[in-house]
Amino acid sequence: MATTSIIIFALFLCAFGGFVAYDLVTAKRRKEVYRIKSSVTAYLMLLPAVALAFLFILLPILYSLGYAFTDYYLLQPDKINFVFLENFAGIFKEISAKGMLYNAIKNTVTFVIGVVPLQIGLALLLALFVNRPGIGSKIFKVCFFAPVVISLSITAFLWEQILAPGEGGLLNSMLSIFGVPPHDWLRDPATAMPCIIVLSAWQGCGYQMLIFLSGLSNIRKDLYEAASLDGANWWHQFWNVTWVGLRSTVVYILITVFIGACRILTQPMLMTGYMEHTVTLSYYMYNSGYSERLVGESSAVALLMTIFIGGITLIQRRLFREK
Amino acid sequence: MEKVLRDLPNYRPNKAPVKKTVKEIIYHIVGIVLSLAFIMPIMYMIATSTKNESAYAAGVGTLNMFLPDFANLGVAFENYGNVLLNYDIWKYALNSFIYAAIVIVLNILINGLAGYVMAKLTFPGKRLLSFMIIFLIVVPVETSIIPLYSIVKIMLGLKQEMSVLGVILPATISIFNIFLFTQFFQNIPKEYEEAARIDGASTLDVFFKVIMPLSKPILATVAVFCFIGVWNDYLWPSMILPSADDGSWPLLPIQTALISIKSIESITTGEIMASLVITSIPIFVIYVAAQKYIVQGFGTSGLKM
Repeated sequence: MATTSIIIFALFLCAFGGFVAYDLVTAKRRKEVYRIKSSVTAYLMLLPAVALAFLFILLPILYSLGYAFTDYYLLQPDKINFVFLENFAGIFKEISAKGMLYNAIKNTVTFVIGVVPLQIGLALLLALFVNRPGIGSKIFKVCFFAPVVISLSITAFLWEQILAPGEGGLLNSMLSIFGVPPHDWLRDPATAMPCIIVLSAWQGCGYQMLIFLSGLSNIRKDLYEAASLDGANWWHQFWNVTWVGLRSTVVYILITVFIGACRILTQPMLMTGYMEHTVTLSYYMYNSGYSERLVGESSAVALLMTIFIGGITLIQRRLFREK
Repeated sequence: MEKVLRDLPNYRPNKAPVKKTVKEIIYHIVGIVLSLAFIMPIMYMIATSTKNESAYAAGVGTLNMFLPDFANLGVAFENYGNVLLNYDIWKYALNSFIYAAIVIVLNILINGLAGYVMAKLTFPGKRLLSFMIIFLIVVPVETSIIPLYSIVKIMLGLKQEMSVLGVILPATISIFNIFLFTQFFQNIPKEYEEAARIDGASTLDVFFKVIMPLSKPILATVAVFCFIGVWNDYLWPSMILPSADDGSWPLLPIQTALISIKSIESITTGEIMASLVITSIPIFVIYVAAQKYIVQGFGTSGLKM
């Protein structure tokens, strides 16, 4: 692995050198002036970041890309064979046979479709709710934000108690006041994913609320005054002033929440374990790569997932780019 | 003045102060109900941390679940004392603080310099790097955690003391922070730098003496992110660090340790909750203290992806 890494590093340097040469050649056409001294300073200042990013971010991604075409088994790093597209064939076989991977994809898609609108909508509503002067709204803001500061492992544990099966669970005992029989929320395939969606949105939305608030504070106040002088009602003001002003904030939040949602791993891992109805793509990858030690297969899934997330992110950026 | 105002088409005098008060009251009631929905589990956590096993069992299913056991406040001290001293939570917390402090300093230096270069300097190859920044933000890191594990293992060897570096070093680089720094620095007017340049300052001088002091909001944002990232991470440390049981100083950070503490057989629910409360306090304090800066950091960097 060490020699391969050095070869990759050399290739990376060559590629970068190529781009530098290309930039130098086309500098005149692009009316760009490069100064030697300032360029050298720039490279030196970038050096630590580039070195670390190469070692801990780019190299692992490239390896994971390469492993996708091998039969790498974690405990036998000396016996790696190139198997070309076998892993991908296996993936499609497992998907068409509706195996664990099929469930992982289904659950991840369910989660993303559920949590993205819920979390962003909730965050926007809360931001609009607390965006006013007064001590009351300040206290509410801290309360709405409170779940964000609690780590996922703690929230997962707390919700486990809330959703616990039988009479002992918090939710069940509250519902029993209304005569609803106890329910095993996390084991029932119909309710497990919705529970995880609600708890994730509940936990995360305070953070997006803060970003929305900073977006709201950047909208000029006189626009609202002008709108109300024109006789615009609340909805018109929201749609024509607030929403337009929040555009770049919304794009940013949409992309970050979407990427975060696609990566969901901790909640199902801590709350239900490796189960058919809650396994997600990241969890599947973690399990097949680290627990079952089938790195090749895990990397193939990772590669497909990266292409998928990257593609959708690009589409989102295109769709919402400012016109 | 009053007369002039009255002639305006949209003039509405203060004719319904009662209606306004009612609106205020409704606003606050809705706010309180919503707030309870958000802090309910936290109240449950704090309340349970003051109870022994029987008081906890008696409270389940009633409103007492959310209220501390005032009759027996001694139990609370016992729970917190047990967790801190017998289960060594304070050692793990200290570990997390040390890791976080080192990561914050290195992360700001390394990514801040890179962000400054990307925002302010021109050099050949810049377009490739700015493309790679966006590309690497999009690629999910989880997909490469296993190669990262092998790389770190090979780099550091199998020595236990070195594995601490395996926790710290990968956390010092964050493409997203480079992106945040770049966005922020781009909005700092050129004039500040030019003034310093005329006085003969080097690029590094400009960065440390001009740019850094102007960037407090983004520094606070990044520091808070780093702290929370290190404090809340449990998966990576659990892979890379040995869980020492031989009585030497443990290396695990708090979240990783918490997972194993929770599975100790003799531990009570109250003690588990006490350890969860202790784990949440630093993050809560930091967020409340730095909240203003975080909002500013996002607001002024004009996030555009």
